[in-house]
Amino acid sequence: MKLKFKIIGCMLSLVLLAQLIRPEEISSVKTKPVKRLAGVPEEVAKVLETSCFDCHSSQTRWRWFDRLTPVNFLVASHIRDGRKALDFSQWDSLATPQRNAMLYFALNGILSKEMPLSSYTALHPAAKLDQKEIDLLRNYLLNNVVSKPASVESNSNGADKPFMMEVKKSPNGIAYLPNYRNWKAISTTERFDNGTIRIIFGNPIAVEAIHEGKTNPWPDGTIFAKTAWKQQQGKDGSVYAGQFVQVEFMIKDVKRYAGTKGWGWARWKGENLLPYGKTVKFDSECISCHRPERDNDYVFTRPLDIRDLNKK
Amino acid sequence: MRLPFTAGVFPLIILLMTGCKPNTTDRINNAASITSTSRLPENPLEMTPMAVSLQPDAKTMSTLYGNGIATKRLRDGADYATGSVLYLVTWKGKADPDWFGARIPDRVTTIERISFDQNGQKSYAFFKGPAWYADTDMKEEERRGIILSIPIATSP
Ligand code: HEC
Ligand code: HEC
Repeated sequence: MKLKFKIIGCMLSLVLLAQLIRPEEISSVKTKPVKRLAGVPEEVAKVLETSCFDCHSSQTRWRWFDRLTPVNFLVASHIRDGRKALDFSQWDSLATPQRNAMLYFALNGILSKEMPLSSYTALHPAAKLDQKEIDLLRNYLLNNVVSKPASVESNSNGADKPFMMEVKKSPNGIAYLPNYRNWKAISTTERFDNGTIRIIFGNPIAVEAIHEGKTNPWPDGTIFAKTAWKQQQGKDGSVYAGQFVQVEFMIKDVKRYAGTKGWGWARWKGENLLPYGKTVKFDSECISCHRPERDNDYVFTRPLDIRDLNKK
Repeated sequence: MRLPFTAGVFPLIILLMTGCKPNTTDRINNAASITSTSRLPENPLEMTPMAVSLQPDAKTMSTLYGNGIATKRLRDGADYATGSVLYLVTWKGKADPDWFGARIPDRVTTIERISFDQNGQKSYAFFKGPAWYADTDMKEEERRGIILSIPIATSP
């Protein structure tokens, strides 16, 4: 009988002692309220605030059970990783296109059922989004935040462009691959979220893998190049590829790129092909948006099967 | 009695486990792929993509492909030389199931071919795709003009 009490007593005091160890996020009261998101309707801002701000802004409302060790460590890690992926506290410093991109990013996080984290909604049921709230976000974007093509007719046809320009490496050491325009188009996409039109090129290894149905995982040596152009309205009402925006690569090499999910990620922007990214680890941004596709080897595209129809 | 039961349960568990693995084959966009050439001389998807266009009213999207000779235009803006073959493949667009904000190709509506033959002749041919709808108006002269004037998608 006595022993039982002793054990329970010991455990209780351990739990109490553990409460002294807390993540610094709690002690250094860093949580400052974020202003209502400017430029979006109040209902839209409200939904994001209720469901997402705890982990995706500096405005975290710690509930009493969130403060208990060890739960608080889990919560603190959610906030750290969550803010790295998406941080609404930066809203005021962003230009409209970046804000719009953030909203599309957020809605896609919800639609892929990744967000809000289910471990969180279990304890914070108010954060769960119902269909009405999802439709509210979706309709707001569809009705207000759809990029329209520019209406200038393009007359450049590729003539007189600078030849053999020196292209700098991406901050993670990946060198530019100039030959992707000879590869095959494994898909095209129209992006109404940011007003671009894209071709996704696959190198011969990628095309072969598609044909053999061996795309999960994609074999080493696979390379995708995705080019984006601004949409441009023609006189006949059709929309064409206008100004070149960027080209991005994913290069598969399980060993070499073990730290970045088996892919080398790189992006070059604009006519001058300036490498994108400020630090070596800029690619965590790529991975975080591609993460919902982790069961598909981090690849979004559903490729075309390109067969040699004269064979057989 | 017990052994057959255990022996029976194991395959069942394995079946359940493998049955839940993500299916890779449905990641290929088979609906949009060109899988038979009953009348096509070649598979345009094997050629080099040169331009893309969208037709907002018809909700279709097209890619212009060229053979080796035609793609010279991609590099130096030259006119299409004799021997050039162009294809314009048009798909019905559909919402990208993985990204709200994107549209991707669904089934093919039409395939058009222009070849630049000897002595400056241009021949035009037209093939119906599985998503062809009868009231599409395809006037040959107009279509040639449109295809030949699609601005090339240039990149540095
Ligand atoms: C309990 C904390 C928490 C809440 C609440 C939460 N998130 Fe997240 N979110 C995270 C974490 C942690 C990550 C980083 C995941 C990783 O990198 O492993 C993340 C990542 C993301 C990403 C990056 C892509 C991805 O799926 O990994 C998006 C987009 C996102 N969240 C959107 C939202 C939206 C929109 C809401 C509100 C509806 C929301 N999140 C609510 C914790 C949260
Ligand atoms: C905000 C989300 C987001 C971010 C950030 C992002 N991507 Fe993507 N990426 C997509 C989507 C969506 C697609 C599907 C094709 C499309 O519609 O553009 C895609 C497709 C691609 C593809 C074609 C292969 C595939 O997965 O379908 C490449 C290559 C690529 N991205 C490279 C990158 C690189 C490199 C970065 C970082 C510099 C990056 N992406 C960052 C959303 C994102």
